[in-house]
Amino acid sequence: MKRFFVQVHEISVFSLRFFKELFIPPYEVGEFAGHLENFGLRSLPLVSVIGLLMGLILSLQTKPTFTRFGAESFLPAMVAISVVRELGPVITALVVAGRVSSGIGAEIGSMKVTEQVDALEVSSVDPYRFLVVPRVLAGIIALPLLTAYADLLAVVGAFATMYTLGGMSWELFMTSTVTSLSIADIVPGIGKTFFFGFVISIVGSYFGFKAEGGTASVGKAATSAVVFSSFMILITDFVLVKVGILIFE
Amino acid sequence: MIDIIGLRKSFGELEVLSGLNLSVNKSEIFSVLGKSGTGKSVTLKCIVGLLIPDSGDIVVDSFRVDVNDRTTLAQVRRKIGFLFQSGALYDSMSVRDNLVFNLTRQRSVDESEANEKAEYYLTHVGLKEAIDKMPSELSGGMRKRAALARALVIEPHILLYDEPTTGLDPITSAEISELIKEIHRKFDITAIVVTHDILCAGIVSDRAGVLQDGILKYTGTLNDLMKIEDEEVAGFFRSPLQSK
Repeated sequence: MKRFFVQVHEISVFSLRFFKELFIPPYEVGEFAGHLENFGLRSLPLVSVIGLLMGLILSLQTKPTFTRFGAESFLPAMVAISVVRELGPVITALVVAGRVSSGIGAEIGSMKVTEQVDALEVSSVDPYRFLVVPRVLAGIIALPLLTAYADLLAVVGAFATMYTLGGMSWELFMTSTVTSLSIADIVPGIGKTFFFGFVISIVGSYFGFKAEGGTASVGKAATSAVVFSSFMILITDFVLVKVGILIFE
Repeated sequence: MIDIIGLRKSFGELEVLSGLNLSVNKSEIFSVLGKSGTGKSVTLKCIVGLLIPDSGDIVVDSFRVDVNDRTTLAQVRRKIGFLFQSGALYDSMSVRDNLVFNLTRQRSVDESEANEKAEYYLTHVGLKEAIDKMPSELSGGMRKRAALARALVIEPHILLYDEPTTGLDPITSAEISELIKEIHRKFDITAIVVTHDILCAGIVSDRAGVLQDGILKYTGTLNDLMKIEDEEVAGFFRSPLQSK
């Protein structure tokens, strides 16, 4: 337990450094573009499948209950609100954490144990500024976009279920969906993904930098990055939901 | 050129360096010999500011190395090329980009000039044909050559070699050692070579020292060191074949 809190403290210090280094040149635009592609574009296939399945499963699972209470027409609204507010951001973040955070942990970890991080330092390149800042920035920008995309696909998935099983028309589905969503659903839903994107990249980078010794520590860095970032995503979500309720309701 | 006075460094309870003194003259190649774990690499990393000494002074070309003074440290690092034990080539970049990146980050040169210099130094280490290869496509010896070219491309006054022949077969080891000697003759660079490869030390060194118990216990030419009657030092110079 003590180790956990020590790690939380170290990650907090590591995270705060990002806000200091972000504004110090040189700005690693090329690195940022590369990581944006890795974080965003290369996560698209996975996020597409997850988004679509999320809508399909949620609507399939809840349709019998709504039908029993004669509330089938509320199904699109229920799917839209739950996906936009909670499921879309959290599931997308957890899935992307599994892919990206572990990748960052392993990549920086292997650079650390093969002295590439030292080589950067000797070349007067600040390893934090070069390796961490572009990755975190890419995470902050890519995850909200991925989440919006996953939300959209989840809605399409839900429509596919309702059209196939109940013959609901696209117009009725969309009217119900759009009218049910308010700014108080969209802003907190997408807003928290900026934090999740930050968490995914910063935790991966932290564990990468902690790697030392041999290749075993690289594997450990990757695993710890996924476990810890998933955990932190859920904790952050809990806090942000409370904050969202205070602000919007 | 390089002066180390009373350098101490511990890791937890373990004191690795306990008051090391070392002075290396301009254009000299000084080899630091010693068994694994005696603090040879630690000494190099302290010189370049990768490790913070517990106490002691390091002066490089009249600049005092102080990790808290980032401006001076950057000036010191611009004078130093470092050949890492593993080569430490950036695996996401081609050999060319490894050199260009290192140069453009430390000197204000444009891309075309950096490319010319990269080609020049890669030709010099006999690796021009591998310029567009990725580090993963290179053999151990080629990696060392590429890493040496990367260290040279910034045209340093000082080169620090951390086990330059580790992991190489005896023939490639000898080739790398000869290359180091040739480079120093041509570019007039001061160097510290950390090694436990006596053959390498024999080829490259002007002077050498044996690191033992956290200090440089003996210094002199390699011939002087070979005459020392300390059992540990003598054992170090005895080749495995001789000892059989």
